Amino acid sequence: MYQLLAVAAYIVYTVFSLRLLWHFLIWVRASHANRGVFRFKLSTSFNTVLLMAIDLISFRRVMIASGPLWVGSLIFHLSFLLVSLGHLRYFTDPVPACIQDLQPLGLIAGYLLPASVIWLLSIRTLSVKHRYLTWHNYLILGLVLCISTGGLLLRTVFRTDLVAIKSFAYGLLTLQPALLQDAYLFALHFALVLILVLILPSHIFSAPLIIMEARRREQELRMVMHDR
Amino acid sequence: MTADKTEDQTAGSFTENLSMLQMIELDACTQCRECLNVCPVQEVTGNPAVSPPEKIRMFREFIKATAGLKSRFLKPKEIDRKLLEDFTKAVFECTTCGACGKHCTVGIFTQRLWPFLRKEMISRGLVDFKILTDMPEAIRNTGNPYNLPAEDRYHPWLPAGITIAEQSELAYYAGCTGAYTAQPMVKGDVSVLNAIGDPFTMLKEEDEVCCGFPLFISGQHDMLEDLTRRLVTSYQAKGVKTLICSCPCCVNIMTREWPVFYGKELPFRIMHITQFVLNALKQGKIRITAGLKTRLIYHDPCYLSRGVGVIEEPREILRSIPGVQLLEFERHGLNSRCCGAGGAVRKVYHENAMAMGRLAIDEAVAKKADRLVLSCPACYGKVNEAMVGHDKQIPIVDIMELIAGLLERKQI
Repeated sequence: MYQLLAVAAYIVYTVFSLRLLWHFLIWVRASHANRGVFRFKLSTSFNTVLLMAIDLISFRRVMIASGPLWVGSLIFHLSFLLVSLGHLRYFTDPVPACIQDLQPLGLIAGYLLPASVIWLLSIRTLSVKHRYLTWHNYLILGLVLCISTGGLLLRTVFRTDLVAIKSFAYGLLTLQPALLQDAYLFALHFALVLILVLILPSHIFSAPLIIMEARRREQELRMVMHDR
Repeated sequence: MTADKTEDQTAGSFTENLSMLQMIELDACTQCRECLNVCPVQEVTGNPAVSPPEKIRMFREFIKATAGLKSRFLKPKEIDRKLLEDFTKAVFECTTCGACGKHCTVGIFTQRLWPFLRKEMISRGLVDFKILTDMPEAIRNTGNPYNLPAEDRYHPWLPAGITIAEQSELAYYAGCTGAYTAQPMVKGDVSVLNAIGDPFTMLKEEDEVCCGFPLFISGQHDMLEDLTRRLVTSYQAKGVKTLICSCPCCVNIMTREWPVFYGKELPFRIMHITQFVLNALKQGKIRITAGLKTRLIYHDPCYLSRGVGVIEEPREILRSIPGVQLLEFERHGLNSRCCGAGGAVRKVYHENAMAMGRLAIDEAVAKKADRLVLSCPACYGKVNEAMVGHDKQIPIVDIMELIAGLLERKQI
């Protein structure tokens, strides 16, 4: 089983990298004919950079659009990030101190992640104003819910051999996958993660850039007709 | 239609008219659909198929089919012509008001994105709105998109006794929509400018050609450089340092796009008329002494508020009228709701535009305003049109038409 998982992991990460690279190439090959559209380039002051960072971290634009969605989105993304960072302990040896220090937070995030997914799904299915979700977003949220719940079960109920899992994960990274036996729930957890990586929306890379650009544009609006 | 023509329309790259940033913007849409809550087209049609995220999703599909990884290694996916036609309809049903972008949870600059998606469809020959595709020829022949005689541009409304200087550092651009379809508005503009007393110049009727906005917004960009250069050179020859205009669409393209098509910074400054008049009020060049015991409600034109950030000046002018109580729409300033006149929709989706105009009228009436104040010739024309046959009525006035009336009263 472990061999199958290892091969699948390499295939998935290859496809994912190719997909990213191709995306980037399409962007680069876009026309330069209308680049002047965005012409009032602010000297990116410390103030603007700070505001960009705040927008990015606080999900300000989601907050303006909808309070309940903002709570769900913020907790979802933050807990997803913390859980992901926490998992770095399986891929590093020795584990850096900063990753070790994150573990208590990562544990809390492990509970918050499925809760935030349930919250988001509830809003998207029950609220008249926000009742909408693409099948793709349903799939992603559903996968994250299964993965995070599985992770919690592995941590609390069906405790698994962490040493064996680390050997397997670290082995994947060093191209020497170790043997992994009788860890069926982990295998399912890992397989679902691979599916998630395959269908990960590319907006997770592009949206932060646009959020920052939007703040810069907001800052420059006053320059169009006023402070010039 | 020949097979070759059909292939031209459905094949080939969909990225040629987009900048890298716009490509990233397309990618960044999370399909959250929060923008549907503020889209005026959604408000009157309720049709998610013409919503901003749906347009973005469809365009991403076109890019994926023609330039995606799979299309490069496997056989490129054929794009269904019907899908392209649906997309074209959706992208031209939009008023390009930019409310979706303002409320976008990511911050996509949709007010600039839609014209470039339209450009792609125009270049593929998929747009058959004759009233739009005839515009370049009309502008070439008469200087305006309405195909009306150039010699009728000023004389029907330019009041006698207004002095137009031959040369001046100050110039006034009337704009086609104001000059041909919203004449009380441009008449008000020149009357107020005349009252201020600073000498101003205007181009000859045949020289004051279209600013290019209707072409830009409908994705027909071929003539834009020529029009821009022609106008900029003409004003430069008159020694102009400040160009005043009241049309938000003209102001928008002058400030945002003209420097791009001109190739460098403009040799003069662009000012919206409310900015100039507010300065004159502050400097005491004009005074509004006549009182007006009335409740006014001001509608922000999308291309003036979200477009170039002129929001406070019209309000300050209106507040300076003694006795005026200024009301606000629920959605105002940067969050204003389109009246339906934008994005050439009024020309091709008349019923939608009328319905949007009536929403503005209904709200103004519900707020118990005595008059609805506008500051855009397109809004002026469309909201007046929407009033015809509507059960709710409210007097509509352009901001400079109103001020000119008060100044005249003062002089009496």
